[in-house]
Amino acid sequence: MNHQLLHIFRNSPLGRETLLQSIYFSKQVEVTPVIYIPKSTKFLMYFENDVVQIDLDNSYLMSPDTALEHATELLEQAGVEPRFLDPKHYTASTLPDIHTNFDYMSCPRSISDLSSKIGLGYIGGRVRRIVKSAQFPVLITSPVYKEWESIAVFFGGSVNAFNALKLGFRICRISGMPLDVFTLVENNSQESYEKLIKDENLETEMSRYVNTWHFLRNKALEENLYDVPHNALVVLGAYGHHLLKTFVFGSKMEKIQSTISNNLLIVGPNYTAAI
Amino acid sequence: MKMTIHEVAQCLNLHVSTVERWIRQGRIPIQKTGNGYLFSESALKKWAAMYRLPFLIPEKVKSRGYEERLENLLSAMKRGGVMYDIKGDDVETALKSAVENMPVLSKTSKKELYQLLLERERLTSTGIGKGVAIPHPRDPLPDALKSPVISTCFLEKSIDFGAVDDKPVFVMFIFLSQSIKIHLHLLSRFSFCVRDNSFVEFLKTSPDEASFFAKIADFEKQLDRAET
Amino acid sequence: MRIFQSWRYPANWTIFRLDDRLLLILVAIIVGSCSGLASVILNRSLMIMFNWFHHLRHYWWVFVLPAIGAALSSLFLEKIVKEGAGHGVPEVIYSVSRYGGLLRFRSSFSRLISSALTIGSGGSAGPEAPVVISGAAIGSNIAKYFSLNDRQRVTLVGCGAAGAISSIFNAPIAGMVFAIEVIIGEWKSVHIVPIAIASVMGTEISRILQGNQIPFSHRLFNISHMDILACVGLAVLTAAASILLTRLLRSMDKIAKKLPAPLWIRAAIGGCAVGLIGLFLPEVLGKGYHVVQTTIEGAFSQGLVIVGLATIAKIVATALTLGWGGSGGIFAPCLVIGSLAGLTYHHGLALLWPSVTWVNQGCFALLGMAGLISGMLQAPLTGIFLIVEITGGYEVILPLIIVSAITTSVCHYIEPAAYYMKELVDYGHLLRPGTDARVLSDLNVSELIEKDCIAVTQNMLLRDFIDIVKKSHRNYFPVEHEETGHFMGIIHLDDIRQYLFNPVMYDTVFLGQIMNTRVEVVYPDDDLADVIRKMDANRLFSMPVVVNNRFIGLISKGHLLDQYRKELMVQTSQSI
Repeated sequence: MNHQLLHIFRNSPLGRETLLQSIYFSKQVEVTPVIYIPKSTKFLMYFENDVVQIDLDNSYLMSPDTALEHATELLEQAGVEPRFLDPKHYTASTLPDIHTNFDYMSCPRSISDLSSKIGLGYIGGRVRRIVKSAQFPVLITSPVYKEWESIAVFFGGSVNAFNALKLGFRICRISGMPLDVFTLVENNSQESYEKLIKDENLETEMSRYVNTWHFLRNKALEENLYDVPHNALVVLGAYGHHLLKTFVFGSKMEKIQSTISNNLLIVGPNYTAAI
Repeated sequence: MKMTIHEVAQCLNLHVSTVERWIRQGRIPIQKTGNGYLFSESALKKWAAMYRLPFLIPEKVKSRGYEERLENLLSAMKRGGVMYDIKGDDVETALKSAVENMPVLSKTSKKELYQLLLERERLTSTGIGKGVAIPHPRDPLPDALKSPVISTCFLEKSIDFGAVDDKPVFVMFIFLSQSIKIHLHLLSRFSFCVRDNSFVEFLKTSPDEASFFAKIADFEKQLDRAET
Repeated sequence: MRIFQSWRYPANWTIFRLDDRLLLILVAIIVGSCSGLASVILNRSLMIMFNWFHHLRHYWWVFVLPAIGAALSSLFLEKIVKEGAGHGVPEVIYSVSRYGGLLRFRSSFSRLISSALTIGSGGSAGPEAPVVISGAAIGSNIAKYFSLNDRQRVTLVGCGAAGAISSIFNAPIAGMVFAIEVIIGEWKSVHIVPIAIASVMGTEISRILQGNQIPFSHRLFNISHMDILACVGLAVLTAAASILLTRLLRSMDKIAKKLPAPLWIRAAIGGCAVGLIGLFLPEVLGKGYHVVQTTIEGAFSQGLVIVGLATIAKIVATALTLGWGGSGGIFAPCLVIGSLAGLTYHHGLALLWPSVTWVNQGCFALLGMAGLISGMLQAPLTGIFLIVEITGGYEVILPLIIVSAITTSVCHYIEPAAYYMKELVDYGHLLRPGTDARVLSDLNVSELIEKDCIAVTQNMLLRDFIDIVKKSHRNYFPVEHEETGHFMGIIHLDDIRQYLFNPVMYDTVFLGQIMNTRVEVVYPDDDLADVIRKMDANRLFSMPVVVNNRFIGLISKGHLLDQYRKELMVQTSQSI
């Protein structure tokens, strides 16, 4: 209905790749992309229990006169009606408030630091805070525009992972792309994971949506990741079972994000999935 | 009973986002824990009573929905029967002989009915034009009847009913219902039939019961289709 | 594992779930102590810096000091902490109004450092507003740590502010009253009790670390009836001073913004100007408490002209420091300006009516202070309690009340909103609970959408439309395009009433001919206040809500009233 994706536009070639990716994602998942062209480097996002100040790096303010044009052009080329966000409230004259009732948000791996740090293994601090507080999943785009053609969900059995799984079902249903589930079988057995699914009454959905459920048996997670298709949208939860789970991202998640360069759709703890 | 947040919103007759907002602002005694919500039904009820907010469990609301099943023309007409060659030169005698012949009523109620029908005629004629009249008591008869009755009475000869188009009436349909709602419902369906001129011509031939009821059934089917 | 989890969510513990007052008191103790500590730290650093720079006073280049201080503080805020200078207290009020008191963590310490730089080097500003915002941010972040909801967080923000003010003035009641009057805006027991506890903790911390002294010594004044009459005149003078200060601050702000130089250069310019004034009138530099002390003791020996000049000079210096980018508050400058204004008045009175024995000039200084605070903040209670507490004298209460009340009223008449609130009121951000603005800002269009309208298409015949009218419960019918489903217009039953009973029209009229295409629509992200304004302007009782060119429902005034009432009842509840 009124599902929206927030995208903060950087008027640079790198920003163009990110915007193209957001547009493709929006079309597949049937949401409307809403573009924010920043006029100042800072803005505030007030979540339910946290206020995050986003300090964009200066490349976001590059060539402001052509920003609107470029963004509109890309959107119209893709056949999407251009919608721009105009902040209505300001905490201070240079500090606009961006509202947070979106359904998705897309950002590159880092929004506060220079583009040079957009390599693997790095997810900026701001992005992490957004994932932690937001009620929407965050799409972390790959550096180059690549149309994904399948969905890969990493399922580890935690509450977060269930949300990621349900989100995967939902995207599979709306976009029609094939869905694969990957589980790292370390010390537990395959049956224990299947039992978890059964306990949550998700067996029918599993059989309906999931193409193959891969059980990765190699002890080291990194070595298994070659099995993930290069053009898949990877959906995963940010946190795991760890005791400090609300402070740091799960260890597996860190490994995954530092090994593969696919688009990542990360689900935070405040997201409640509906299939 | 463990309710979901949607059910709570329904009970309070509020939108789900309103309830979620009040939880976030701390105005309703429900706490949010990660993915779920913590609350006790009794605390909620007390809170709702304090603000005079309605807190109705929807199942109870649904049970009131047992509407009176509105009957259709065919069964009412079958109950009332079809009478032919009713004698009478004017309104009163025609009505009297019609009422005498009606199958379902006792002697006393027939007398009462006759009086009621006359009263109604005196207010305005029930001749609705094209030779059809629909005598009926002005107020419904909830005690005398359990189900509506329509008696079809073909008159021996056409009489002046004071109808709207001044044409003489050749058939009377006596409508008896136990509530105004049913009466209006039947009347509305009946008028659909009468609007069709070919039906009126058909009536002029004084058809037998079977073909008459078949025709009525046809019209009912059309009406049902239009309504869905 | 579960035990470790649940201590982060104390609001969900069973003892606290239904009645969280005890929880708030416990957390208020923590918040009060922390914010008290913060203000002690600032106070100490100011004293240290004052002592450092004191021996430099006789150098000729000393006027550059405030410039350096202001520039450094501006750089610190902009580049290091990236705060984006907001004016402290309004930001707190804005967040309390709109977002349940969410404040950034960096605000807890950034303003302390920057204002230490500005004031310590001689800038004419006060340390109170920075500690208020630090205390408020501390309260907000502790609430965030414990995952408390909006209402509890707002209380804790108030606790932080109260603890800070109580600590810096050693005045618990003033802290309480300030937090409730200015920050929270509603007097409810659920706020008052934790705030009182926090004030006590703040004061305690201050007394433990700095000793129990009132900032200004206590003197006994003999007030006669003539003096009480004279207070009215003083009230007018302080009102004038407040308004002058407000207007000057605003114009300095505007002038500074027009300058194309970067922020820290502007701050430096302001600082230079202050330094220059300071060369001639050293009383205008810094916090200025020693000036106040001197005036209360009646030891300020200059005559009417000098005192009058000093008052104006301090006003200008404050406007220069704060308007050009320095970091600090207006509390302390108000006290100084007030005391100087009181002194001026006293000298003036003595000149005009030399035969009457007026009370000691110190008393007028005291009253002047109360007047300025009441006038600038438009918070008379805070002014009264503050003066009583910081001077320890209760016998001046009668003239104190008169001056405070009259100054507030006069200022309110000319400048309808207090200094802190002006910006907020202008942009419609001051949303006190239980006000129409607040209810409208909390309610959302999506909560009010009614979805039981039946849609029709433009090529439908009137005959078919009548069948639909039979089934519907509404007077409005949206018209959609057959293929795309786009919203094309609206048919109101009134439009077709005249044709309803004309059978000739049934098969000859298409809905496209009678629909109304020039319809005002509403979007789900629209501000409810704007929606109501549109409805009032066009005399409509319902409006269609459209998303992506599709009709999703109707918003009507009737349903709005229902929800508005519920919202108001829940917001202004007496007990929760």
